Amino acid sequence: MKGPIMRALSGVAAITLAMGAAPLVAQSGPTDADLMNDAKSTGDVLTYGMGPQAHRFSSLNAINSSNVSKMVPAFAASLGGEKQRGQEAQPIVYDGTIYVTGSYSRLFAFDARTGEEKWQYDARLPDGIMPCCDVVNRGAAIYGDKIIFATLDARLVALNRNTGKVIWNKQIADYKEGYSATAAPLIVNGMVITGNSGGEFGVVGAVDARDVNTGELIWHRPVIEGHMGTLKGKDNGITGKLNATWQGDLWKSGGGATWLGGTYDPDTNLLFFGTGNPAPWNSHLRPGDNLYTASTLAIDPATGVIKWHFQTTPHDGWDFDGVNEFIPFDATINGKPMKLGAKADRNGYFFVLDRTNGKFIGAHKFVMQTTWANGFNKNGKPNVIPEGRPPAPGDAKGKPVFASPSFLGGKNWMPMAYSHDTGLFYIPSNDWGMDIWNEPIAYKKGAAYLGAGFTIKSIADDHIGALRAMDPKTGKIMWEYKNNAPLWGGVLTTGGNLVFTGTPEGFLKAFDAKTGQELWKFQTGSGVVGSPVTWEQDGEQYVAVMSGWGGAVPLWGGEVAKSFKDINQGGALWVFKLPKS
Amino acid sequence: MLSRRALIGGAGAALALAAGRGGAAPLAKVKALGTLRVVVYQDNRPWSWEEGGKIVGLDADLAQAIAAKLGVRADVAQLVADESVDDDLRNGVWKGGLLGFMPGDLMLHVPFDRSFAARNDQVAIVAPYYRESFALAGVGGAMALEGMPTEWRGRRLAAELDSIPDFYLIGSFGGILARDVVHYPTGSAAVAAVTAGQADAVLASRAQIEHGLHRAGAGRVTLRRGPLPAFTSPGWDIGMAVRENSRTLGDAVEEIVTAMAASGEMKALFARYGVSWTAANAAG
Repeated sequence: MKGPIMRALSGVAAITLAMGAAPLVAQSGPTDADLMNDAKSTGDVLTYGMGPQAHRFSSLNAINSSNVSKMVPAFAASLGGEKQRGQEAQPIVYDGTIYVTGSYSRLFAFDARTGEEKWQYDARLPDGIMPCCDVVNRGAAIYGDKIIFATLDARLVALNRNTGKVIWNKQIADYKEGYSATAAPLIVNGMVITGNSGGEFGVVGAVDARDVNTGELIWHRPVIEGHMGTLKGKDNGITGKLNATWQGDLWKSGGGATWLGGTYDPDTNLLFFGTGNPAPWNSHLRPGDNLYTASTLAIDPATGVIKWHFQTTPHDGWDFDGVNEFIPFDATINGKPMKLGAKADRNGYFFVLDRTNGKFIGAHKFVMQTTWANGFNKNGKPNVIPEGRPPAPGDAKGKPVFASPSFLGGKNWMPMAYSHDTGLFYIPSNDWGMDIWNEPIAYKKGAAYLGAGFTIKSIADDHIGALRAMDPKTGKIMWEYKNNAPLWGGVLTTGGNLVFTGTPEGFLKAFDAKTGQELWKFQTGSGVVGSPVTWEQDGEQYVAVMSGWGGAVPLWGGEVAKSFKDINQGGALWVFKLPKS
Repeated sequence: MLSRRALIGGAGAALALAAGRGGAAPLAKVKALGTLRVVVYQDNRPWSWEEGGKIVGLDADLAQAIAAKLGVRADVAQLVADESVDDDLRNGVWKGGLLGFMPGDLMLHVPFDRSFAARNDQVAIVAPYYRESFALAGVGGAMALEGMPTEWRGRRLAAELDSIPDFYLIGSFGGILARDVVHYPTGSAAVAAVTAGQADAVLASRAQIEHGLHRAGAGRVTLRRGPLPAFTSPGWDIGMAVRENSRTLGDAVEEIVTAMAASGEMKALFARYGVSWTAANAAG
């Protein structure tokens, strides 16, 4: 039993306190050990990714491929109000409560048995913020008596999980300088670990660790070479080597926002964070690899020191970004058991690395087409196709260049899942390209500017979205499910031989994990762009997902907008289970 | 991050949802309400910025003058610039911001350009009031201001990050000056670096340079007289935007601006900030 009192206290002290100090009950809750054990504890969902390694796998099998067709809603709960935009959150489930974050930096606590709202917290947002890609939030983190989430004005807010009252509220970056925050925080060893997001130039990606009880900064690690990191207020070494892969002073504003957060591997004691695209956009003005943009970084959680890096798109000129989650897993390669990690990148390749040292093992194409590179060589460098690079603004006026994947990526923010049973990764991907051209008439902040025009285009007649099952050992795609509209939600896989994901058309769907056969679907009333979870409660297995269309696709969809033009806004938590026989 | 993507073509259509709150008012409604809500850019010296809790600058003064001549009070609101002016027109004039920014009746500092206006058909762009262009200024004597840019190797060249001046200095002449460019968040900050002796020359808008030199007092920094070789931006006209269905207001504002130009009032307004007023090409 996960008794909150017994876990927090021990020995004689526990007995004394349990008798004398009832208020302590409210102070207890998930511990560091609970968070690290989340992948195995089936009665709750304590972390973003259902475990620090973010496998999004549950061994639960009461709902399985033979009975999922009977699954029905248990309840739905509306996020209400007029703020019905993209709902990209993953629910957290603990002690009879479901915690979800909503668009416009809101956090809700719902009764996990009835769906009734317990409390709601609305962040007061300044109107001067300019989020690039809709007003989304991807989820909260739970620890002890706290539920913690990031807000669009780049703050981290810790609330009492029972009352919704603020415990601490810290600025993590300055929204006036273009910073924002949308990712779910990661909690490791009593520290809240966050990345940052920002669409404006001048933004430099960083990973920060804060004391979970106070919000005070412990370490700060900028991800662009030349910037100084800190540990407990003192300098802690420069990231990389100054001007090694950047010209002039462009490293000072080099981009690399770590906007999707990270994963943690207790086995190697490493944090893994992906970094965003370099700035400025025009790659011709910043020759070099531009480290550590578009990379995965392995970071020591105690000090914030970078242990290794692997760059997936050197000298990114397509906004492929490199933020996608890096998922630790173990497998036997060429007869040798290895500690590995996998990342399905925006650039269309599925990377497998040795997670102890970042060594390249393989890169496998998981989308229909990559115009920027033709595979990767043995050293982990892309075989770049030079004519696939967008031209410098001012050159070659008018003629568009076609690039695939589009800047929204072969896979965007939406997390994949890894099944312990099938050994397969389930990747929510999209097959689309873009035309890019130099826009002769462009203006920014009232002044003439060299801009580029973009339009996203379909590359297949029958789909944009594709859920793909990837064998990480062979690079083979074992099955795929094609979807008309782009896929934009996370994936869950279970011991019941099931894979769940949502569609913009409004369905939550269940597939056979081995064959990809669609077994069940339910219309939630708006597009599903959140990540589903599952847990066991009162002897029954539940599945939950957020519904609410939005995110970057409707903002940037271009020609593919016709695939989702009839989808309405929404904002609801849906919870499902099998009917009682 | 999608930091610089212009909303063009199909993407724009997806955003062309029905306008939400409020809505800009035509002339009669503005007069009845007694208030003209004017949108200016935040942090856009010398045009509009905040100082001592007040919004000041050329555009702020112009907003006050226009409201006074209409016989109403000016409610000047600062807009954070988005990725392109097309986006700013959506946020500032015809729809409002995603986080609740209320659209204005009038937005200043909008490029007056036929192709640009054609693709922004939710607004009417009126009253061109200034001709802007880029210029180079530097410490006379310290460097060959009138020389070939390639002679400036090793000098500290200030420019706004990711601007046309930045692209020119970094990208032209085979990138020979790329390592010499020092980047600043705004053109005004780049000018201030030169007047403070932290850089040798700056390429920025003429208004930013003239205002910066005016602030710093008489110094050794002067403007280059000759054109820059292979510099492609010929300058642009600046006007104002009203909502497409507020043309009565647009017409009244255009009359006011025309009269201010003719009477010398516009020139005097600009002179207070050290900027030599130049009539827009389109102001005919």
